[in-house]
This record gives sequence, structure tokens and C-alpha cells, in this order.
Amino acid sequence: MLVDLFSKRIFNLAYQFAGNAQEAEDLTQDIFLKLHRNLGRYDFDRNFAAWLLTLAKNHLIDEYRRTKWEKRNRDDFDDQLRVTASADDGPETGLAAEETKKVLWEGLNRLSPETRMAVILKEIQGRKYEEVAEILNVPVGTVKSRINRGRVQLAGLIRSAKERSHEL
Amino acid sequence: MSCDRIQDLLAPYADSDLAADDKVLVESHCRTCADCAGLLAALKEADEALAGFPEIEPSPALLDRLYRLPVERKVSRPRFRFFLRPSLQPVFAAAAVFMTLVSLYFINPNRKELNRAVVRQFHRGVSQVERLYAKAEALTDTLGAYADNLFVALKAINPLSQNEE
Repeated sequence: MLVDLFSKRIFNLAYQFAGNAQEAEDLTQDIFLKLHRNLGRYDFDRNFAAWLLTLAKNHLIDEYRRTKWEKRNRDDFDDQLRVTASADDGPETGLAAEETKKVLWEGLNRLSPETRMAVILKEIQGRKYEEVAEILNVPVGTVKSRINRGRVQLAGLIRSAKERSHEL
Repeated sequence: MSCDRIQDLLAPYADSDLAADDKVLVESHCRTCADCAGLLAALKEADEALAGFPEIEPSPALLDRLYRLPVERKVSRPRFRFFLRPSLQPVFAAAAVFMTLVSLYFINPNRKELNRAVVRQFHRGVSQVERLYAKAEALTDTLGAYADNLFVALKAINPLSQNEE
């Protein structure tokens, strides 16, 4: 069943992209509706997961452009995503890592939709460049440069946050 | 080398995806530039943190909504919409009349007589046309003769032609 196989992947992609759980649920539902409507157009030579993720990506970016989510706040990182620090880490290390994740979670909204999507697929979901290129329907070189640009932009936010905390 | 150029190389450097020359360039620059060194450290930290983002389970309410999604039936659209154009209706009407006549002909038990009648009628038509054609030829000849006579008469009346003689 498609829902069992793909709901978690699509919901996480929508949540990481939109940053709002309620919005992500609605988007996931829309994407599954689109999936049902477009199943007839599926080309059996293509990887189904990649095809579905392309459909999801198109919907997410279109909706983003239509509703301009960047003006809205993302969910509080602590509400949904906070994970207990690893037992091996000292309490300070764990706290610092959580702060970094918080900055990154908020920082994702600063990236352009295409860059954000590429960073989510590669860096958060751990896909290969080739897979990301197939999903985004762009050459691998373009994917690499988008992701690298996004990473440096996010690193800049971390550095700024650290500088601010040192000043305090 | 400017910081901007080095910052473009930081991500490939963190991925160990740089040529040896560029790698040396980044390392030597970062030894002297605290800004770029800090950015490189932050980049590594960001990579690690992004990879550690947790996956969230979709809520039971969402799953319930997804399971209940109606699988939309394909809306059957008329594929031959072209043929439904009102402008083609007279053509279809004429075709229907023609087909009716053809079928009446084929189911007619006295088809041979009908054939003969048609052939007779056809020949009659042809002979009528031939007759008309012959009459038209005769009329043309008569008119030609009248024209010649008229021409001769006019020549006889013309005083200039008499003087010349």
C-alpha cells in the first residue's frame, strides 16, 4: 500500500521543507491526492520513489511560491524535533548540538526553495547527489553547487549565532 | 586569494572533494584567516547536525486521512470531441441519408429491375445530352452562316470598298 510505504517519507519532506506540522499534514494529503490522480502517467522505466518525490517536490515548491511561507514562523524546534542528547556526550556538548540544530531548523527558511529542497534531500535525508539530481530534474553539477551554497549559508548562520552568544 | 573564493571551496573541502592544489590553498588560507577557519568549523558542525535531524512519525490522524483518500475515478472525457461539433451536423445528416439509400438499395428484392431502370435512365440521359449537343452544333453552324452573310452584305454596302475597286 502506497500510504504505508511512503507516508513517512513524504510527511518528513513536507515538514522539513515547510517547518510547520499542520501545514505538512495538509501538504502530505495533497501530495497523495496528486499521486492518485497521476498514477496513470507513471513511466515504468523510472524509479517509483524518485518519481513520487519529484511530484512531492513540485507540489511543495509550487505551494511555497503561492503562499510565501517564508513569512510564517517554523514550528519551535523543541516541540517536535528535540532528541535526547547521546549518553556519550557531556551535557554541554549535547546542549550545543541542540542549539546548532535549532539555528539550522530556523535557517532553512532563509534558503531559496530550490536550495532548501536540495539541502534537505542530501544533507538531512542522506540521499546521493545522483538521486537528488533525478528528483530535482537538474544536472548533478547544479545540485552540488546548490547544496554547497546552502551549506555555507547555514554555516554562516551558525557562526553568527556563536558570535552573538560569545558577546553575551 | 580572496575569502569569497575560499568560501566557495569550503564545502568541497569538507567533503574531501578538492584537488590537491586547492586543498593546500584552503588550508594555508584558513591558517591565517580566522573568519574562514570559523566558517569551515561551522560548516562541519552544520553537516553533522543536519545529518542528525530526527525523522518524525506521521500522526495517526494523518494516516487515517490518507487511507480514506478517495481514489478518483478517471473522468471519462469524450475523446472524439471534434466529431461533436455542431458545424458537422449537416454532413452527418447527409451521410445518414446516403447510407439509408444505399442500404435500401441492397435490401430491395427487385434489385435487378432497379439496376435496369437505372441503366435505362442513364442511357436516356446520355442520348438526351447527345441530342442537345447536336442541336447546339447545328445552331452554331446556322449562326456562323448568318454572320458570313452579314459580313458580305456589309462589304457590298461600304462605299469605300467600291471606290477602291
